[in-house]
Amino acid sequence: MSREKFTANSFSATLKSKYPVTQSGVQGNILTLTVDTGTYATLATYLKEQGFTRCLTVSAIDWLDDNEFEVYYLVHHLKNNIYTKVATRIPRKKPEIPSLATVWDTAALHEREVWELFGITAVGNPMLKPLFLEDWTGKPPLRKDFNWRDYVQKEYYKAKEG
Amino acid sequence: MSRILKAAKSLLGLALSKPMTFNFPPDAPLTERHRGRQLYKPDLCKGCKICSMVCPNNAIEMVQGEKSETNKTGLQPQIDFRKCCFCGLCVDNCPTEALTFTMYPFLLTMKPETLIYTPEMLAVPPELAHPEPPKIKSTVAWARSRSIWIVNYMTGCCFIEAVPWVASSFDMERFGLVAVGSPRHADALIVGGYVTPKTLKRIIRIYSLMPQPKWVIALGNCPMTGGTYWDSYNTIKNIGKYIPVDIWIAGCPPRPEPIGVAVVHAIQAIQGGYTGKPEKTSTDKGKMRVPRYPLLAAKPKEGQVDMVFGSQHSASGNFNVSLTLDGETVVHAEANPGYLHRGFEKLMEYRTWVQNIMLVPRICVLDGASYELAYSGVVEKLAGIKVPRRGQYLRVIQAELARIQSHQMNLGFGGAATGFDTMVRIIWGDRDHVLLLLEELTGARVYNIFNTIGGVRRDIQPDFPEKAGKLISYLRKRLHVYDDLLFHNKTFIDRTRDLGIVSPDMAIANDVTGPNLRATGIDFDVRTATPYLAYKDIGVQVPTATQGDAYHRYLCRRREIEESLNIIERALDKLPRGPVAETKTPEGRKITWRMKIPEGQALYFIEGGRGELCFHAISTGENTPYRVKVRGPTFGTILSQFPKLLRGVKMADVPVIYWSLDQCPADHDR
Repeated sequence: MSREKFTANSFSATLKSKYPVTQSGVQGNILTLTVDTGTYATLATYLKEQGFTRCLTVSAIDWLDDNEFEVYYLVHHLKNNIYTKVATRIPRKKPEIPSLATVWDTAALHEREVWELFGITAVGNPMLKPLFLEDWTGKPPLRKDFNWRDYVQKEYYKAKEG
Repeated sequence: MSRILKAAKSLLGLALSKPMTFNFPPDAPLTERHRGRQLYKPDLCKGCKICSMVCPNNAIEMVQGEKSETNKTGLQPQIDFRKCCFCGLCVDNCPTEALTFTMYPFLLTMKPETLIYTPEMLAVPPELAHPEPPKIKSTVAWARSRSIWIVNYMTGCCFIEAVPWVASSFDMERFGLVAVGSPRHADALIVGGYVTPKTLKRIIRIYSLMPQPKWVIALGNCPMTGGTYWDSYNTIKNIGKYIPVDIWIAGCPPRPEPIGVAVVHAIQAIQGGYTGKPEKTSTDKGKMRVPRYPLLAAKPKEGQVDMVFGSQHSASGNFNVSLTLDGETVVHAEANPGYLHRGFEKLMEYRTWVQNIMLVPRICVLDGASYELAYSGVVEKLAGIKVPRRGQYLRVIQAELARIQSHQMNLGFGGAATGFDTMVRIIWGDRDHVLLLLEELTGARVYNIFNTIGGVRRDIQPDFPEKAGKLISYLRKRLHVYDDLLFHNKTFIDRTRDLGIVSPDMAIANDVTGPNLRATGIDFDVRTATPYLAYKDIGVQVPTATQGDAYHRYLCRRREIEESLNIIERALDKLPRGPVAETKTPEGRKITWRMKIPEGQALYFIEGGRGELCFHAISTGENTPYRVKVRGPTFGTILSQFPKLLRGVKMADVPVIYWSLDQCPADHDR
C-alpha cells in the first residue's frame, strides 16, 4: 500500500495521466471521475493499491432518457481523507458490469443490492441473490420505468382477502 | 469487593433519590412545543388549498364549506389522522395561521374511520376524557386485565415509543405488563409501525401462535393506511385485512402517553369482559405465508444444527441472521436483512426536495436527526445555500442530543444483551429526559424534522439554555452511575471483554464506521476529518479505544456521550445571534416547499450516531430529486462484518456482539 501523502487535486492529475478519464472534478476532498467501462475495474485495483481501502458504496443511476445506466463506486482514503467516486455508463439493454468483489469485500454486498434494485449484473460476483425483497415479482424497483404506482395499486390497495 | 460495594452504593443512592417514573395519566401538560393534533380556526382560513397541496401524506382534503368574506372559495381542510405524520408542513405553509398545533397527542380508536376529522371537529380544542371504569365482570377478567404479556417483536419504528414503557420513566410493569419472548405465552401483540410483506408473514404466524384470548394493538399510521409509506412498493397498507386489530393509535410515531392510554382502555375493556375480536387471519391466498427455512438451503452436517436468530427474538431487532451451530458454537452465519425495506430511494424521487426532509429521518428511527441533517446538507450543497451561523449551531445541538440518546439506547441494549435488565430501565429512563429536551428544541421527540433547506425551522425559546444546562449536569452525574453499574461491573466485563474483536484492518475492509471503528484505535470522525457545520468553531475531542472488542465499543459510546455533553455546552456558550435560516437561494429566489434545485450532483458526509453517513443527491433541475442514494453507516458493519465476527463464538454471545455493533436494521434496509 502506498503511504504517500497527496491531495484530491494532485491525485486527480496523476489519475488523468495514467487512465483515460472522460470527465473529472474536484470539490474539496471529493474527487469525481467518469471513465469507460473497460477502465472501471482496472482503476479500482489501482485505487486500492494507492490506499483507497474503504469502499463506501457501489450504486447506480437510471438515466432512462439516455437509455443508459450509470454505475459508480465511492471509495475513501483513510489516511489522506480523500473520497473518490468513479462512474461509468453502460447501455440499459445489456446491464452488465465487472464485479469489484475481489477488490473490496463490501463491494460484493453493494453489488448484490444493485442487482436486486436495478437489475444490473455484476459479472463475477458470487453473491447475487435477493437481499431485501422476499418473493418479489415486479421489475427491479429502482428502475425509472418500473410503474410503481400501478404496482402499489394492484398489490396493496386492490388486493382481495382470501 | 470494592466494586460490589460501589455498585451497591449506587443502587442505594438510586433507591433514595426521587422516583424516576413519570405519573400516569400525565398530570402536567406535555412539552409545550409538542406537535400534536391540529387546531383549525375557520375565521382565518382563506381556503387557499396550500395545506392540502403541501401534505406529503395526502392527509388533508379540502371539503366544501360555507363561503364567506375571508374564505372566498369556501374550502376547508379535513384532516385524516390515519395518515397525518405531524411533520408540520401544513402549519408552516399556512399563510394566515388558520392551522396551528396543539399539545394533544391522544388519537386512538377501535374504528380507524373515526380518525377523519372534519373542519368542525378540528375547530374544537381537544380535551382528554378518560372513560368511566366499567364494572368488573369476573375475577378471571380482573386477573387477566392486570397481567397482560406482550410479544417482544420490534416490527417497526413506532416501537421506539413503546420502549420508554420498558424503562423506568414510564414503567409498564405498574400495569402488570411484561414483554415476553415466546408468542405462545403472550396475550397481546403490538404491531409497531410499518409492516413490509416480509414482516407481515412473521406477524401472521406469531398471531396464530398466540393462545386465546388475544389482543392486537397497532401503533402509528402505517398499519392503518400505509402512513408515510402510502406509495411504497414494499409496505402493507392496511394490516386489518390480515389480522384483527383491537386498538389503533394514530401518530408517527405516537408518544408513549397515548400508548399508555390505550393500555388503560384495554385493561378496562378486559375487566368489562372484552376478549378481543374473533380470531381470523388471511394470508392473501398463501402469499403471506412464511417460507420454510428461507436461508438455510444446504442441509447441515451431522451433529450440526441450523438456527434462525431473529427476526422475532427479544434481542434481535427486526433483522435475522441464520446460524449453523456445532453444539453451542457458531460455525457459519449469514445475515438476512430486508424486514424493514421501504424503498426510500424510490419514495424520495416523488416528493419535493423540501417534503423529503420529513421523510428522511424515518430511515433510521434510532438516530433520525442525523439523516435530516445530512439530507438538508446535501441539498444546500447542490443549491449553494449557506446556513446562517446560528442555524449551524442549533443543528449541532440537535445532532449531539440525538447522538446522546442514540448511545444511551445502545448502552441499554448492551445491558439487555448481557442479561442485566436494571441497566435498561435506568439508562432508557434517562434517555427520556434527553428526548423531552429534544422536543423542547424541535417539536417532536423522535422525528424532530427540525431542519429545513437553509437552516432550522425555528429558534430556541429563551429558557432553553437553562433547561439544557440542567440536563447536562444531571447526565454528567448519571454517567458515573453507568460506570458503576456497567463498566466496572465484573459480570458485564466478563461477558464483553475480548469478545467479537474487530482489528483495524478488518474494520476498514468491511467498512465499519463510527464508534465501532474508533474502538479499534482508528481516529476517524467526520466531525474532525472534514468538519461540517460549526464543528470547527466548537471543537471536538474524539474518544478512541484500542482493543476493538465489544466492551470497548460500548466504552467508546459512553465517552462520546460525555464529549457530546461538552459540545452542547460549548455550543450554547458560543451561540451567535442572528437568523436561524436562510430564506433565499444565491440567485435570489425564495426557498419554498416546491423550490427547484439546480442541475448537478453532490455528496455530503456527516458523522451520525452510528458513524459516517453519506448522502448522494442527483438533481436534473426539477423540484423533485432525480435520485438520492443513502449510504447508511450500518450497512457494512452489520451485513459484512457481523456474520464474520460470529464464527467460533458461543450462541449466548451472539446478541452481545450484535448490540455492541449498535445496529439499526432500518438503516441498512432503508
